[in-house]
Amino acid sequence: MSRYMMNKFIRAVEMSTANVNAYVADTEGFVDGWLAGGAGPDAVADDRVLTPEEREAFVNRDYGTLYGLGAHPYLLWHFTEAVYEHEYTEGFGWRELVEQYRAAIIPYGEVDDIP
Amino acid sequence: MAELVMAAATPHNPLLWRAMREPVPDDLVQVEVNFRRIRDAITEAGVDTLIVLGTDHVRQFFSDNSPAFIVGKAASYHGTYENEVRTFGMEYAELTGNPDLATQITGREVLPETIDFSVSHEWRLDHSFVLPLQYVRPELDLPIVPIHANSILPPLPTAARFAALGQHLRAAVESWDSDARVGLLTSGHMATDVGGPRTFNGSPDPEFDAEAVEWMRDGDLDGAIAGCRYDRIMAAGNVTYQYVNIVAALAAMQGRPADLAEATTSRFASSPFFLWRAAS
Repeated sequence: MSRYMMNKFIRAVEMSTANVNAYVADTEGFVDGWLAGGAGPDAVADDRVLTPEEREAFVNRDYGTLYGLGAHPYLLWHFTEAVYEHEYTEGFGWRELVEQYRAAIIPYGEVDDIP
Repeated sequence: MAELVMAAATPHNPLLWRAMREPVPDDLVQVEVNFRRIRDAITEAGVDTLIVLGTDHVRQFFSDNSPAFIVGKAASYHGTYENEVRTFGMEYAELTGNPDLATQITGREVLPETIDFSVSHEWRLDHSFVLPLQYVRPELDLPIVPIHANSILPPLPTAARFAALGQHLRAAVESWDSDARVGLLTSGHMATDVGGPRTFNGSPDPEFDAEAVEWMRDGDLDGAIAGCRYDRIMAAGNVTYQYVNIVAALAAMQGRPADLAEATTSRFASSPFFLWRAAS
């Protein structure tokens, strides 16, 4: 597991409205584009790496699995909100998303999210 | 010499920004009243510069470079972020810095014995700095020294280190060759969970909230330090460590009982409101 890298990806999406929109529009393409990018020749390390399981969870926008893998809860919730608010309808809004998110993560309990 | 003329702690829950609009909903009236009390206390104390102790929420300081205590030395700051404006409806803010006071706090050539501060000359302030100011000093006219204390990316400083920070802030102000009237504004949470199993479901730990009010009401710095162990706080919610900012304020005010100590209930997790006026 690479909690640090998951959080890095989550931040890259959540902090930029352009990236939120790009991730929502073409989720798999955005994930793979992010993995292929990077800091170039002066990168301090292998700076964009996800395990296959993490990549799959981001491709599926599967916040429950990401939580279980140890994503930082504060970052993960705001990522989830940013990504899913595009899908709000008359009967499914913020409160419903909160309930759905809680139901998805409760089975994992308090997880170790310390990178 | 400069004086530390008041200290206060407020919530920085950004969900308040959209919820607490006129007409203020019944459950948030007391939250608004308490913000106003602190706003008035800042005015009455004649504060002319503010130390703002907050928690960067992984906006500027990420796990690639995460300081324990970092002091802003910039002459000006931009406030809040695109995602906070999008998510919370917050407003961007322009703030003036106070590099002289920042240097007084960190030392110029050599760090103080008490805290190994980091410093920043380029820092975009998130909601934990901007939102309290927008409520308690909406004019945004006072020069500020922002200090981020890490309570969000473990390993975290212990509560005893936050207390040492508070004591150092008082000492730094009182040895500053200036006639400034300095206020300390901090913010944080009572028991609160964001993104964990108890997220947005009221207070996850009313028992912690009650104790955490008592430490401030009674001026029990030792009790606060003992009660703010990492495991105890995390059992009260995954962002509750930001309460420890308020322990720094208690220490800065020499462990005196707070003049206002309240965990205000509303639709949200309870909101911390603490105020210390200058000793008369």
